[in-house]
Amino acid sequence: MAEESFLTDDFLRQLMNVGEVDILVGLPTYNNAKTVGSIVHTIQNGILRGFPRERVVIINADGGSRDGTPEIVTSVSIDDMRPASNLYALRTLHSISTKYGSGPASGVAFRTILAAAELLRAKACVVLSPESANIEPEWLATLLRPVYRDSFDLVMPTYSRHKFEGLLITNLLYPMTRALYGTRIRETYSPEFGFSGRLGSQFLGQNVWTDGTDGDGAELRFTLAAITGKFRICQSFLGEKMHIERRAADLVPALRQTAGALFSALEPDFPVWSVVAGSEPAPTAGADKAVLLEPLRINRKRLREMFSSGVAELDSVFQSILSPGTLAQLQEIARLEDDRVQYSAELWTRTVYEFAASYQKSVISRDHIIQALAPLFRGRAFTFLMENRNASADEVETSIEGLCLEFERLKPYLLQLWKSRE
Amino acid sequence: MPINRDVLWYRDAIIYQVHVRTFRDSNGDGIGDFQGLEEKLDYLQELGINAIWLMPFFPSPLRDDGYDISDYNAVHPAYGTLEDFRKLLGSAHDRGIRVIIEMVLNHTSDQHPWFQESRSSQDNLRRDWYVWSDTDSRYKGARIIFLDTETSNWAWDPISKSFYWHRFFSHQPDLNYDNPAVREQMWDVMKFWLEMGVDAFRLDAVPYLVEREGTNCENLPETHHVLKELRRKLDEAFPGRMLLAEANQWPADLRPYFGDGDEFHMAFHFPLMPRMFMALKLEDRKPITEILQQTPEIPPSCQWSLFLRNHDELTLEMVTDMERDYMYDTYAQNKTMRLNLGIRRRLAPLLNNDRRRIELMNGMLMSLPGTPIIYYGDEIGMGDNINLGDRNGVRTPMQWNGETNAGFSAAPPERLYAPLIHDPVYGYPAVNVLRQKTSEHSLLNWMQRIISVRSSSGVFGRGAIEFLYPANHRILAYVRRLGNETVLVVNNLSSNAQAVELDLRRYKGSIPIEMFGRSMFPRVGDLPYLLTLGPYQFYWFRLRRI
Repeated sequence: MAEESFLTDDFLRQLMNVGEVDILVGLPTYNNAKTVGSIVHTIQNGILRGFPRERVVIINADGGSRDGTPEIVTSVSIDDMRPASNLYALRTLHSISTKYGSGPASGVAFRTILAAAELLRAKACVVLSPESANIEPEWLATLLRPVYRDSFDLVMPTYSRHKFEGLLITNLLYPMTRALYGTRIRETYSPEFGFSGRLGSQFLGQNVWTDGTDGDGAELRFTLAAITGKFRICQSFLGEKMHIERRAADLVPALRQTAGALFSALEPDFPVWSVVAGSEPAPTAGADKAVLLEPLRINRKRLREMFSSGVAELDSVFQSILSPGTLAQLQEIARLEDDRVQYSAELWTRTVYEFAASYQKSVISRDHIIQALAPLFRGRAFTFLMENRNASADEVETSIEGLCLEFERLKPYLLQLWKSRE
Repeated sequence: MPINRDVLWYRDAIIYQVHVRTFRDSNGDGIGDFQGLEEKLDYLQELGINAIWLMPFFPSPLRDDGYDISDYNAVHPAYGTLEDFRKLLGSAHDRGIRVIIEMVLNHTSDQHPWFQESRSSQDNLRRDWYVWSDTDSRYKGARIIFLDTETSNWAWDPISKSFYWHRFFSHQPDLNYDNPAVREQMWDVMKFWLEMGVDAFRLDAVPYLVEREGTNCENLPETHHVLKELRRKLDEAFPGRMLLAEANQWPADLRPYFGDGDEFHMAFHFPLMPRMFMALKLEDRKPITEILQQTPEIPPSCQWSLFLRNHDELTLEMVTDMERDYMYDTYAQNKTMRLNLGIRRRLAPLLNNDRRRIELMNGMLMSLPGTPIIYYGDEIGMGDNINLGDRNGVRTPMQWNGETNAGFSAAPPERLYAPLIHDPVYGYPAVNVLRQKTSEHSLLNWMQRIISVRSSSGVFGRGAIEFLYPANHRILAYVRRLGNETVLVVNNLSSNAQAVELDLRRYKGSIPIEMFGRSMFPRVGDLPYLLTLGPYQFYWFRLRRI
C-alpha cells in the first residue's frame, strides 16, 4: 500500500498554484491571531525590500488554531486581486496556509515547511517565529542573503540577550555541541534561521521523522545535520531577542526539544563527533553575541529549592544515570546553604555527559532521563546566576567560554563512557 | 476585395506598421519607395492584415527619421512622387487594406519654411507660429523627453536672438497651437491627405501641443480642445476616417484623449506593452492584470491600439523605477541596447528568438482588448543591429529572400540606406520571407494562421473582457464576449508546464472548441475546469452551447 502523504490535497493544490520559488518563508503558528498579521506584513516588507524580484512564498504551517490565524495569513497575499495597500510588489507574493494537526508540534510544522520547500524547489528558505515580538523587515535579508547570494546552507542567528536569558543555550546546548561537533554555533536551537533548499531536502530525507519522536527537536537535529553533512554554516546578527509574551517556561518540554534531540543525535553522529578535537568559530556577520545587563527578575530561591528537592526525590533515578562520584558530589552541594551552593562547570559537564551516555544506554526510559535532568539544570542555572550576579558582559562571556572549554576538555570522558557502553 | 464601409472598421483591424524606406526598393537607389511597397501589397494581403500604417514619408532633412517634416503637402523624393503615393493608396484599397499615415502636429523640422520665416524676424507674419521666448526659464515644469541628447526644452536661435520651445530634438521646434492660424493650417494639411483618400492619421506626440506656465505642459485641457476641434472637422467632412493618438501616458491620463467619443478613435496603450514583457519574464500575470485593472472604460466607439514593438525603443516611461530597472536588467543587460528611457530592440532578439515566447506574446497581442499592430519584419522574426545609432537598429531593410540585399534592393550593398542584418541567427540568409513561405511551420505561416483565426471572430476586436484570476498566477486567463459568442483565452506565462483550475461555472454546459485545431475539449461542468499547458502555451477556446 502506498505511504500516505502528510501533506493534504488542498495544500498540494495551493503549492501547485504557487509553483517554483526562489525563496520560501516558513511560519509555524498556533493560535497567534493577535500578532501574525503584523508579522506577515513585516515579512512582506522585508521580502519586497530585500528580494523584490525573487519568486517568494510564505508558507504557514498551523497546528490547528481556533482563533483564525491561518485566515489572517492567507488574506494578506499580494496578487492581482489583492494589491498591497502600502507596498509595491513587482510580482505575486503568495501567502498560503496548511493545518498539520490539532495542537502545536514544531517538528511537524518544520517537516511541512521542508516538504513545501522541496516541492517548490526553493533555493533559500527562512523560518520565523510568530512569537518573536520584534521581527524587523531586515531579518529576512539577514537570514536569507548568506544562503541566496553567498551559497551558505545554514544561517543561524545571534542576538543581543540579557546575560541571564537563554541559559539552556549558554549552559548546555552551545558548550556541548561546540565540544562534540567542533563548530561554534551560539544559537544551535532557534525559532529563526535560514537554510538552503539543498540542506532542507537532505534533512527531509533523514529518518528523524520516522523514529517515533514525531520530529521533536528536529530544528536542533537540523543544525547538527548541517554540521555533520559538512554544509556551509554561518551566523548572522539579528539584534535584540524579544518574545511577544513571557510564558512561564516549561523546562521539561524545552529539554526534550533540545537536550533530548542532542542526546538522540549522538549515536548516529558518533563517527563524526568522536574524531573531532577542539572547535572552530562559524563565520559570522555582525556580532556573534551581545549581552545586555539591565536588571532581570529571576526567582533564584525557587531554582535553588527545585534543585535540592529534585536531587533528593530522584535519588533512585540518578543512581541509574550518574556515576557514584558525580551523584555524591551533587547530593553534597544540594544540601549546602544558598550562598555556598557551587555547581561547578566541571561537575555540570560530567553530569551532562553521564546523562548523554545513559540516554544512549537507555538505562531507564529516555523521557525519564530528560525529566531527571531538569532539576539539575536548575541547580546549574542557580550557580550561573549567583556567579554572575554582578558580572559585566565580558565577565559573563568569560564564564560561558570557561564552561565551553570544560566541555571540550572533558570530551574524552564522554568517549570513555561511550566505549564502556559497548 | 474592396474596403468595407463600416465606420468602426478600426476595431476589427489588424495593422501592419511599415516605413516606406525599409520595405522594398523598386528603382535600385538603395532606399525603399512607394512603388516597392505597392509591389509587396500582395504579401501583406496574404498575411491577413487589413491596414498599413506608414511612417512619415514627407520631405524632411531626416534627422529624426522623417518626424522632422519640412513640407506637409508633398512626399520625400527618395520615396517617389505624390502620384506614386496615390497609386499605392488605390492598390491598397483594392485589396481591402486601409492606409494610415503619420501626421506630426506638434512640431516641424527647423528646415520647414514656416520656421525659417518665423525666425527671420520678430515682425514676420509667421513669428507666432512657433513658441518663442526671451528666456529659457519658462515652463520649467515640463520634463525633457530625449534625455540622452537634450538638456533643455529651449534652444537658442542665433538668427532671431531668442529661444524657441521644443519638446523633442532641438531641430524640431514646436508649433504654437494658441495661434488659430496654425490650427487652421494643420487642418488644411490633414484635409489635403484625406481628400486624396487616406483612411486615418496617427497623430504624433499629441500631449504636447499646448504649453502653460505652472504645468508639466502635457495633456492640458487646451490641447484637448485643439484635438476635439480637429475631430469635429474630420467627422463633418470625412466620416469613417480615423484618428489614432500617440500619447505615451498612464491610462488615466490617456482616457481624456477619447473624450466622449469625440476626440480620438484610438490610442496606443503604452503602459501595457512593457508589462507584457515584464509578465513573461516574471512568469506572473500581475503586471498585465494590474495595468488593465487601472485602465478606464472608453467610449463604445473607441478602441485601444496594442503593439509589441514598433519603430521606437521599447519605451519604459510608463513604468515605475523598480520596473524599469528590472526590464533593463532582464532585457537589456548590454547598455548599448538602452536608449532614452527604453530598449532599442526588436521582438525576436528581446525574446531570445524563442519561438514559443514569440508565439505567446503575439497570442496575447491578438486576444487582449484592442487593435493589434505588427511591426514590419516581426512576422518573420527579424533581428536588429544595436551598432547602428539611435533607433536605426530596428529600422533595417526588410528581408525578403536570401539573395543579394535580401531581395530588398538591386542597389550595390554599400548604397543601401542602412546595412542589412548579417549575423548568423537573424541575418537575411537565415531569416527571410521566401524561406519561411516554403516552410510549413515557419513563424510567418504561424502568424498568418493566428491573424486568420483572430479575424474569424469579431469578439477579439469588439468583445468585452473578463479576467478569471485562477490561483495559479502564471496563468493569464480571460473570457472575451460579444453577443452570443464567447471565447476563453488561457496563456501560460511560465517556462514550465502548468496545471490550472478555472472557475467556469457560469459557462456550465458549454463545449470548449480549440480555435486553431478545432478540437473539442470536455464539457464545462460544476467543478473547476482543469487544464494543463506546456511551457508558454496558450489556448483560445470558443465556448459553444450546443
